[in-house]
Amino acid sequence: MEIIRFIVPSIILIISVIYLILTFNLPESKVGNPTAAMNYPLLIGFSLLGLSILYLLSEIKDKKKAFTAFKIFADKELTIKVIVVLVFCLGYTLLFERIGFLISTTLFLGALLFLINGKRKWLVNVIVAVVFSFSAWYTFSELLSVSLP
Amino acid sequence: MGVDWNSFLEGFTTAMSFQNLMFIILGGLLGTIVGMLPGLGPATAVAVLIPITFGMDSTSALVLLGAIYYGAMYGGSRSSILLNTPGDGSAIAATFDGYPMTRKGQAGQALTLATIASLIGGTIAIVGFVFLAKPLANFALQFGPAEYFFLLLFTLSAVVSLAKGNMIKGFVSMMLGLLITTIGIDSQSGVYRYTFDVPHLSEGVDFLVVIIGIYAVGEVLYNILLLNDDSQRIKESVGKIWITKEQWKRSFWPMIRQSPVGFLIGILPGAGGSIASMISYSTEQQISKKSEEFGKGAPEGLAAPESSNNAAAVGAFIPLLTMGIPGSGTTAVILGALIMLGLQPGPMLFQNQPEVAWTFINSLFIGNIALVIMNILLIGFLIKILKTPPRVLYPIILVLAFIGTYTLGYSIVDFAILMIFGVIGLFMKILNIPTAPLILAIIIGHQLEQNFRMASVSYDSIFGMMTASPIAILFAVLTVLSVFLPMLLGRLSRVKVDNKG
Repeated sequence: MEIIRFIVPSIILIISVIYLILTFNLPESKVGNPTAAMNYPLLIGFSLLGLSILYLLSEIKDKKKAFTAFKIFADKELTIKVIVVLVFCLGYTLLFERIGFLISTTLFLGALLFLINGKRKWLVNVIVAVVFSFSAWYTFSELLSVSLP
Repeated sequence: MGVDWNSFLEGFTTAMSFQNLMFIILGGLLGTIVGMLPGLGPATAVAVLIPITFGMDSTSALVLLGAIYYGAMYGGSRSSILLNTPGDGSAIAATFDGYPMTRKGQAGQALTLATIASLIGGTIAIVGFVFLAKPLANFALQFGPAEYFFLLLFTLSAVVSLAKGNMIKGFVSMMLGLLITTIGIDSQSGVYRYTFDVPHLSEGVDFLVVIIGIYAVGEVLYNILLLNDDSQRIKESVGKIWITKEQWKRSFWPMIRQSPVGFLIGILPGAGGSIASMISYSTEQQISKKSEEFGKGAPEGLAAPESSNNAAAVGAFIPLLTMGIPGSGTTAVILGALIMLGLQPGPMLFQNQPEVAWTFINSLFIGNIALVIMNILLIGFLIKILKTPPRVLYPIILVLAFIGTYTLGYSIVDFAILMIFGVIGLFMKILNIPTAPLILAIIIGHQLEQNFRMASVSYDSIFGMMTASPIAILFAVLTVLSVFLPMLLGRLSRVKVDNKG
């Protein structure tokens, strides 16, 4: 039996429990019905709890069937790429407001292109990264007057 | 009749203005490009391109978004036909006979046929729209909180139960969406809910960030995992572009028949293009004298679903614009964009801003024609775009997703939310948990709660709400049916199989 198939239903179960605990601890409303802000979330919390239990039970029922969903991660190279993409996203988030839109976006797009499009096409990557970042900056900040850092 | 011809004509002239025509062409082209990317559909196209409508007046923005949506549907049928990879549910049926046509060397003809079918479907549906929109908007004016609550609930449960697949997963997805909408200050009591002292969260999670996260970041991450899959490349040449007389003859009546079918299915909440195209495909297969050719490149097998899903796309705008009820993930994204533009779709839209609604409808019609011209003239160019390596386009879409997110709230807190939902979207895709219920719930969740609370003040119990009016009873019954009927039918068919076995 693959334990792995129970991970996601269990996470949802935990989320619903945490949500219900938070809901019970919500402050009471000072105007009108004191539990007004709480009733609807309670309805959702208990429904999600029930559903996550059903989801878990359905996985237990199917436990003899092969669980193939995570086979997609079998390609280690690509799985690592996805993780690196997420790391780049995190880096972009941290740098965005510190070093400004233009530099951080060029770096971010460049890094993504080198990762996904490959090192051999470095010229294309550099051109796309610079041209795209600059035109995005121009479109948003000059044409649409959106303020960018 | 309830047709407001003055507003209709006014809308037509506005849609024909030079600026709006340019937006139609631009949007159609951009939508086509994103829609053509394997695995990416109209929802992604609209989600990623929403920020370019900033600073426009709401009518033009709506015209542009409509064109993007339409273009993405055209683009989606391109990747279905050429690559056998549909961008969303409504493009699946196009692969059944479209891809076999490509393999027989008739790719060009298949593309043209799909284009013509889309035009016919779209046009017939727009005629239907003109006659049905106003009466439905007037009907919806009678709705109170109880009626709206059950209508919204029915829409949500219909989206879950009509989507093929696991109902439990669908409802989990819906509840997660509703849960997210409770984050932020409660607008009635002022209570802070689940904000964890992050000031940015007090306004709640921006649904557009969630949409971009799931449809752009999640989809791109998923497609990166498939990069080594070589099937997604065009190998065959396109062949002739003009369709033959025989292909036209075989497709003509199926297109005319299936357009109204698609339109009517599109109006139903939760149904939309996927179901319309499937139903059209299977009915044509059943009544065809050459049903054995279906699945092997029968032209009518491509034309029927293509006309039907475009008709459904127009039909879906009726509940969207007249009642504010989206029928699918993609139309939910459009609803989100409309709300962001300061338009509140609903019966009042036709009362207060009829010109906006009618300009939009007319622009759909003009956009349809513009797309046909573009698709036939630019077929070579479009195929070249399809050959631009996705390896370059995926990073660009990812960056666009971040930029778009920033422009929504000027906060990098949203970047974190974007990434979280990107990862959630990736896992939902991998585990086959439908995303449409979550997206829909996130967009109408707030309204659902407000209507629920208003109704619970007027009626003391759920039962009181249900019996508030015949309309409320109807939607309450439909909600219950949509949950239990599929289960019952499933049981019954299993029992039958057991008896036979």
